[in-house]
Amino acid sequence: MGGSELLQFVISGLKNGSIYALVSLGFTIVYASTGVINFAQGEFYMLGGMFSVWAFATFGLPLWLAAIVGILLTAATGILFELLAIRPRKDGDQLSLIIITIGGSLLLSSLARHLFGPDELAIPAFTSGPSVRVFGAAIERQTLWIWGLTITAVVILNWVYNKTKLGRALRACAINRDAARLVGVDTRLIVTVSFALAAALGGLAGLSVAPLTQTAFDAGARVGVKGFAAAILGGLGNPIAAVAGGLMLGLIESMSIAYLSSTYKDAISLLVLLLVLFVRPQGLFSRSRREKV
Amino acid sequence: MRDSRWILPLALILASAIIIVPMAGCGSDADEEVVAQDEQPYRIGAVLSLSGTYAGLGAPEQKAIELEVARINESGGVNGHLIEVIIEDDATDSAAAVTAVTRLIDQEDVVAVLGATGTGATMAIRGDINAAGIPQVSPAGGTVVTSDFDPLVFQTPWSNTLVAPFTFEYLEGQGISKIALISDSGGFGKDGAAVVADLITGFDIEIVATEEFNPGDADMTAQLTKIKGSGAEAVMIVSAGKEAAIVASNMDQLGLEIPLIGTHGNARMEFIEGAGDAAEGFVFAAGKILIPESYGTDTENYEVAMDFIDRYTEAYGEAPNTFAGHAYDALHIIVDALGRVDGEVTGESLRDAIEDTSDFVGIGGTFNYSADDHNGMAASDLVMYRVEDGAWVLAE
Repeated sequence: MGGSELLQFVISGLKNGSIYALVSLGFTIVYASTGVINFAQGEFYMLGGMFSVWAFATFGLPLWLAAIVGILLTAATGILFELLAIRPRKDGDQLSLIIITIGGSLLLSSLARHLFGPDELAIPAFTSGPSVRVFGAAIERQTLWIWGLTITAVVILNWVYNKTKLGRALRACAINRDAARLVGVDTRLIVTVSFALAAALGGLAGLSVAPLTQTAFDAGARVGVKGFAAAILGGLGNPIAAVAGGLMLGLIESMSIAYLSSTYKDAISLLVLLLVLFVRPQGLFSRSRREKV
Repeated sequence: MRDSRWILPLALILASAIIIVPMAGCGSDADEEVVAQDEQPYRIGAVLSLSGTYAGLGAPEQKAIELEVARINESGGVNGHLIEVIIEDDATDSAAAVTAVTRLIDQEDVVAVLGATGTGATMAIRGDINAAGIPQVSPAGGTVVTSDFDPLVFQTPWSNTLVAPFTFEYLEGQGISKIALISDSGGFGKDGAAVVADLITGFDIEIVATEEFNPGDADMTAQLTKIKGSGAEAVMIVSAGKEAAIVASNMDQLGLEIPLIGTHGNARMEFIEGAGDAAEGFVFAAGKILIPESYGTDTENYEVAMDFIDRYTEAYGEAPNTFAGHAYDALHIIVDALGRVDGEVTGESLRDAIEDTSDFVGIGGTFNYSADDHNGMAASDLVMYRVEDGAWVLAE
């Protein structure tokens, strides 16, 4: 295999990987503040694409504005979902909350089918033109957008987490919700904010992928599973680990196509995931969490 | 709810429900009797995917059926009987399809089943069809529907066993002798890839690379990079999903400048919208409904197709796609057979009448069923299309 082919596989892996990374960030943010795996995360990905297409095609908004509308509407859906479905059961156990998110996921995809119809919808690429050539390998312009947006989102998120009051509150909640409440953090607000953030990130992923893949009401479920696997691979609860997990998952998939078989790429990446969990149950990039007595 | 003041309104609602619901039932029964011309209507069960993955196929199927049933009944039905089609949604789920068909057979007492939309669900309800001994006409495209032969089961779309050799002949005509095969791991792709690999041995064409992707995958550049290094002169894709558009775009981005050839699974405008400029030059075989002139403007097929296209477009504001055509054919084949049954309509007499269908002019082509051919189509019902300036044109 030549160098340019290998580079092409790496590019393909990083492209899928950064999509997984954005979705897995959503899982991680909600998990950190609530301890709940939000299985509706994939639907936020779907909604981001659908809302953007809707704003673009139905109202004729310019693409950049349609993208912002898409993200804002998805974030609003995340807030509504938290207020209507999660908050009333906030003191319920985690299992029932997880089941609520599964129900929410089905509800959101059915609603999207009724609102936007069953067919695939398309939006144009953010910048048109032939792909960029790097050492004989091709990178589509939209892939550069996906990478750029992923990096921007991670940098902003990192800044919010480490430098702002909101970030301190988010981190405090992640460490211990009861203690955070005792020192005056509005934990209910923080949970709502984390759902909004997670939905916005999912929406961002969905709308930046839509020009490549088209989008449809049923696009969320599979990406949700991949994002969840990426979050587990990296280590739940840590944003940097979630991104690293996403990129790794994408690379593992593309390398298994290159050297093994495209038929079994999902099985192979799942096998790697299981092996990692046997050796490091806390995920690859998370420090082990020791229970303090 | 424990509050006692809720009890009275609740009881009222319940009581009125008990009164109103049977009344509503009576009302519709009375209506039917008025128009039923003294004869009981023929009841046909339809199992369609109105939600779930195949909702994009089930929706036009439902529209076509409702349009045609209304037309048949307005012109007096069949032998004095009206046609009643009871449509059930299987949500693109085989288990739900079985539940639906059980209900249709046990409670609605249907004489035939139209469906299911998907190949998986079509196969799943076979047990119930056999137990009831009634015929099934399926608008699903999987080869297995008729290659795994069942005397009771018929099919309306062109099967891959017709489409694949037709496509190979085109490839040979283009001087292509090495192809790469890429398919999805879902039912249609798996089925089609197996047929392609099986039937290509009769041609002077070699498969030099075989790749797969999963429904929902966002990027196929890895698979196509492997194909690029394989020396293939063309890529053949077998997939009915939106991923076909991604393959076309990815080939464009990689600079893989060899022809991409599809199948009847790609005969949807969504493919062209999704792939954009990369769709240009895409070639696929499908029936003639996409460009009705290809039937020949002086043929009966052309008249039947134009009539359906005009009425469908008027009713729904969009042209029918091939899936609407498959449902049209399935319904009319059943209705046509009902008209030819001598004496009492039973599962057996209707099955025999469907098997006797010959020279039936439908949307997909001209159907000739026989004791060992329940697909009924011929290669002459197919034509090659090419995408040019965002629309279909004839490739020859």
